[in-house]
Amino acid sequence: MSVEDQIKDIVAKIIHVDKDIITREGSFKEMKADSLDIVQALVAVEEAFDIEIPDEEAQKFQNFGDFVSYVEKQVEKKGEG
Amino acid sequence: MFTAIFTRGGQELTNIPRVVVTGMGTLNPMALSVEEFKEGLAVGKSGVNTITRFDASKYQVKVDGEVKGFDPAQYMDLKTVDRNPRAVQFGIAAAKQAIESAKLDMAQEDPVRVGVASGCMVESSYVVQQSERVEQRGPRRADPLFVAKSSPSAVSMQVGMMLGAKGPNSSVNSLCATGADAIGTAFNFIRLGYADVMIAGGADSSLDPLGMAGIDILGALSRNPDPAKACRPFDLNRDGFIYSEGSGMIVLESYEHAVKRGAPILAELAGAGWSFDAHDATAPAPEAEAYAMRSAIDSAGITIKDIDYVNAHGTSTKLNDANETRALKIALGDQAYKIPVSSTKSMIGHMITAAGAIESIATILAMNEGIIYPTINYETPDPECDLDYVPNVARKARVDICLKESFGLGGENCCLVFKHPRLLS
Repeated sequence: MSVEDQIKDIVAKIIHVDKDIITREGSFKEMKADSLDIVQALVAVEEAFDIEIPDEEAQKFQNFGDFVSYVEKQVEKKGEG
Repeated sequence: MFTAIFTRGGQELTNIPRVVVTGMGTLNPMALSVEEFKEGLAVGKSGVNTITRFDASKYQVKVDGEVKGFDPAQYMDLKTVDRNPRAVQFGIAAAKQAIESAKLDMAQEDPVRVGVASGCMVESSYVVQQSERVEQRGPRRADPLFVAKSSPSAVSMQVGMMLGAKGPNSSVNSLCATGADAIGTAFNFIRLGYADVMIAGGADSSLDPLGMAGIDILGALSRNPDPAKACRPFDLNRDGFIYSEGSGMIVLESYEHAVKRGAPILAELAGAGWSFDAHDATAPAPEAEAYAMRSAIDSAGITIKDIDYVNAHGTSTKLNDANETRALKIALGDQAYKIPVSSTKSMIGHMITAAGAIESIATILAMNEGIIYPTINYETPDPECDLDYVPNVARKARVDICLKESFGLGGENCCLVFKHPRLLS
């Protein structure tokens, strides 16, 4: 499963939405996620991929795609390391 | 000089509003609704059971009072279920029942005039697990729901969110007196003009290995292994209370507001009184308890002769029941011998922060049904407990005015006076 698919699974489970409504262009706000949902999703993704997403990076995400791209980069870096 | 002018909405508050109860909801070891509770109380049904929530083989305590067959999804969406511990789920469910029975429609209310006052206690094991997790795996591994799940404000916050109630949101905690204390606090918010409607009560699910051990080490819990017989308030052979879980929530509102919207009126909450033992954390002080009773009676503007029934704190511990009996004699004098006193805990155990609220519901039911519910398992009189405890069998009676007592482990005392709605007109 791709990183994107794995993140979709995690997010869908936390905010109780159908995985298919999550798109790269969509935002947490559009998915009706509240502040706690977002923190829960970030922490769950950190744990799943064993990475860290600093708060200042997370604040830059404009949409779900930014989030996925950031995680993909971190996973890649880890693989190289 | 020594008095302030008290204004609300630009008007001087000169007439203190009367406060009525218009809705009730409960989940407890005996019942999942007020209707079921009413039926069980009338026949002296016990909700006490052998411990199933955790492996209690190493514990001397063998029985507790667990809520059976609760499905949180009946009351809230799955995200709310995931986010909240069992105690908070109980609180949300009981509040929903209460709001429904009060026929309260938030679309018709000014949200800032509706508030919540509730206490709660959640499982301490969760806090311990989180502590271990952060210690082993670092601060980034804390549960983002930690504050929401462990805070003493969890129930009042969640109920307020669910309702969109933007008035006072207060979280009361005085251990075993919490439920009554929250109701008294809500009463004052309405009396002082801060709200027209308050949802008030308590919710508790702290029954876990740590909670059980922490109370048992104080010698407060019954070690009688027979669930049917372990809880025996005022009986000579009582040996401790039964640790239970559940929630009780009531809707309080100003009498005027209730009449205006045509709400069902179940009782008047006529008075509340408080005191603190400032004595020994686990040994009650009857003089302080008596002061809370007198203070509630005084606040209701009634005399001791007016009281038809006392719903006791009645925990089934040696100390509480003897001291509560002494306190009743200090507060009520010889009248104490003439008033029926019963313990709802004999049937459902002690729901700690929810007890006072659930027992207030039992008290209101007693008035409305004209039935004084019994103290079950009362077999052998104790010379130190020599009042009329309504042993084992419910009694038909006209009940107009009741005193409800709640005493916290630690010395917090709160008493309430309820009146039958027929006395309003």
